[in-house]
Amino acid sequence: MAAKFPQKAMAYFLLAPTILICLLFLYYPTGRTVSLTFYKVAFFGLKKIYVGSDNFKELFTSADYLQSVLVSFIFTGASIVLSMTISLVLAILLNQKVRGIGIYVIAIIWPYTLSFAVAGTIWSYLFNPAVGMINYLLESLFRIKPDWISIGPLALIMIIVTTTWKSLGYNVIFFLAALQHIPRELLEAANVDGANDLQRFWKIILPLLTPTIFFLLVMNSIHCFFTSYGMISIMTEGGPAGATNIMVYKLVHDGFNMFKTGYASAQSLILFVIVVAFTLIQFRVAGRRVHYGGA
Amino acid sequence: MWRRLLVVSLMVGLLVLTALATSQAAVKIVFWHAMGGWRIPVIERMCADFNLEYPEFEVVPSWKGSYDETFVASIAAARAGKAPHILHVTQPITREAIDSGIFAVAEDLIDRFGMEVKWEDYIDAVLDTYRVGGRLYCFPWNSSSAILYYNKTLFEKAGVSLSRKPTFEDIIEVGNKIVDGGYATYAITWPILYWWVQQWMAEQGQNVVDNENGRAGRPTKAYLTSDASIQAYEWWKQLYDEGLWVNPGRSAWGEALRIFTSHESAMFISTTAHVTAVQKSSAEGGWELETTFLPIPEGTERCGGTVGGGTLWVTKDHPDEQLKAATKFVVWMSDTAQTIRWHQLTGYYPIKKTAVEILEREGWFEEKPSYRTAIDQLLETKSIPATQSALFGAFRAVEDLMEIAFEEIMGGKPVEEALAKANDKANKAIAEYRRVIGEPIERK
Repeated sequence: MAAKFPQKAMAYFLLAPTILICLLFLYYPTGRTVSLTFYKVAFFGLKKIYVGSDNFKELFTSADYLQSVLVSFIFTGASIVLSMTISLVLAILLNQKVRGIGIYVIAIIWPYTLSFAVAGTIWSYLFNPAVGMINYLLESLFRIKPDWISIGPLALIMIIVTTTWKSLGYNVIFFLAALQHIPRELLEAANVDGANDLQRFWKIILPLLTPTIFFLLVMNSIHCFFTSYGMISIMTEGGPAGATNIMVYKLVHDGFNMFKTGYASAQSLILFVIVVAFTLIQFRVAGRRVHYGGA
Repeated sequence: MWRRLLVVSLMVGLLVLTALATSQAAVKIVFWHAMGGWRIPVIERMCADFNLEYPEFEVVPSWKGSYDETFVASIAAARAGKAPHILHVTQPITREAIDSGIFAVAEDLIDRFGMEVKWEDYIDAVLDTYRVGGRLYCFPWNSSSAILYYNKTLFEKAGVSLSRKPTFEDIIEVGNKIVDGGYATYAITWPILYWWVQQWMAEQGQNVVDNENGRAGRPTKAYLTSDASIQAYEWWKQLYDEGLWVNPGRSAWGEALRIFTSHESAMFISTTAHVTAVQKSSAEGGWELETTFLPIPEGTERCGGTVGGGTLWVTKDHPDEQLKAATKFVVWMSDTAQTIRWHQLTGYYPIKKTAVEILEREGWFEEKPSYRTAIDQLLETKSIPATQSALFGAFRAVEDLMEIAFEEIMGGKPVEEALAKANDKANKAIAEYRRVIGEPIERK
C-alpha cells in the first residue's frame, strides 16, 4: 500500500540525510574499491601502480585463495546446518507450557548477546589443548587429547562449534516466535484427523516455518561470512596453514596487515559478487518453496 | 543581579587565564610503542621521568598492539596527516619503514639539532643491524636475542644436564629422558614464529635472502630451501613427531611462557626480554632457573644469532621544535641510566658498553646470571650479513610463510616440499615488492 506524500520537496528533504550517508559510507567506498582492484598499492596509497587485471589473474590461480573460498563455504554450510537444526529442536522444546520455561529460554538465548570475539575467547579457553575443559573431559573419558590448534580439520571443527553455539540464541528466538504464531486450530484439526506428532511436524509446522527458515538462512550466512571475523582473529588467525582462513579474514589480512590494498580490493569485489549471487539464489528458491500467509 | 554578574565574569576571567597559562604548555610528543602487558606501566613511568626532567616537553606514550599492528596504524595515521612523532619499529620492518618515506633519518636529526651521541659506546652488533648503506636510520632501544630457558630443579631430579652451548641433538637426548621419565609432559616449547628460523639460519651463517641478505641491494630470491633451513625444520619436526615439543600457537608468547612456568614443559626457547618475568616466576615457585645459548646443529660453527627487538624512529612531517623534542627523548631513552633501568626491569640487554661495565661492577650479573646469557651470546656473534639480519621489504610476507610452512609440516607435509612451496611464494613476494615499491618514496 503506497502512501501519497503531500509535498514532493519535503519528501526529498527527509530522504536526503539517509541518501547522503549511503553515498559517503556505502557507494563511494564501493566505487573506490572497484577502482583499486586495478592497481597495486603500497602503504595505503603512498604509492600506486596500474596493473590492469593482474590482481584477478593472481587470485584465480592462487591455491591459497581457492582454499579460502572452500573453507568459507564448508564453515558456513556446516555451521548453518548444525545451528538451525539444533535451534529448531530447542525451540520446539522451549515452546511448551512448563513452569519455569522462561529461565531455560533466557539461558539459551543470552549467548547471542556476546560478540563473536568474546565467544571466540571463551571457546579458545575451552578448546585449549593443554588445559582446556574439552580436552580434560576427552582425556578422562576416551584417553585422547586432540591438538585443536595444530591440525587443520580440528581447528575447523573448533570454529564451527563456536559459531553454532553463538548462533543458537538468534535462531531460537525467531523459531520460537514463529512456532507461537502457528494457529492452534490447524494443529487441533490435524489431531482430530488422526495425525501423529511427526506428521504434524512435517506437514504443518515445517511448511509454516519456511519464511523464518529462509530469513534465518540469509542472516546466518551473513554472520558466517562476515561477522565471524572477530572469532577467527582470536582463535586461529586463519590457521593452521590456512585451514580456517575464511574469505573475509584473508581479505583483511592481505589488505590491512600486508598492505596489499589492490589485491584485497579484488577479493572484496569477488566476495561481494558471491554473496549477492548467494542471496539471489536464496530468494529464487524461496519464491517457490516458502509459504507466506499462514493465518 | 550585579553580584551574580561579577562572580560569573570572575570565573570566566580565571578560565581564560588558565587557558592562556596552559597554552604556554610543553611541546607534546606522541610515542607509539609495541610493548604490551606489564611493560606498559614501565614505559609510562620512564616517560613521566623524562617529562619531569624536561618540563618543556611532554611525551605521551601509547601502546598500539604488536609491532605489525603499530606499524600499520602509523602508516594509516601518516596518510591522514596524523603520524605519531615517535614510532617503535621491529627489525624486519626496517626496509619498509625506509621505503615508506615518512621517517626522518636518525643521523641527520642528531646532526641537525647538534645533539651529543657517543656511537662508539653502543654495542657493535646492534649498530651493525640497523645501519643501512652506512647510515643509521633509527635509534636502537630494546634489543634482544633468543635464548633457551630450562628448569634446573627439574633437570636435577631427572638426572640430566645441558651445556651452556647446546646442540640440537642434546635437546633431543635430554628431552627424551625427561618425558620418558615422566618428569614433565613435554620437553620444550616455543611459539610458532619466524624469529627462531631466522636465528637458526643466522647461527649457521645462512642468509635469508640474496644480495648479502638484502644489505648490498634489493634481493631477488630467498633461501628457505637452504641446508641450514632444512636442518632446522627437520629438527623441529622431529621434536613435534616424538611428542617432545608442544605447540602453544602462532606468536603465542603468553601461552608458551605459561606452559614453561607451569612446568608442563621442562625447557622453553624465548626472547631474553622474558628473563624478568621468568625469574619472578621461578622465585615465587621455588624452582631454579638456568639459561643457555640457542641450540644449533652439532658440528656447526656457531655464528651467533640476530639482534631482535625494536628501535625508535622519528617521523618527518612535524615542526622543528617537535622534531627536536622527539630526538631529545629518543636519545635520552638510550642514555646509560635508562638502558640499565630498562634492562633490569625487562631483560632486554643494555645496548651500551658502559652500561654493561657498570652492571658488571655492581655485581648484577653474578647475582642474576640469566640476564648475562643473551649479552654473552651477542658479544660472541660474528659480524656477517646473516647475523646482521635480512633487510628487505617483503620480510613480513616471508615471516608468514616461514610460520605457515611449519603448520603444513605438522599437518603431514614433508619438510622439503613445504619449504620449496614457501620459498616459491617468498620469491614471488620479493618480486612483487620490487615491482610496486621499486625505490623509496620521496616525500618532502
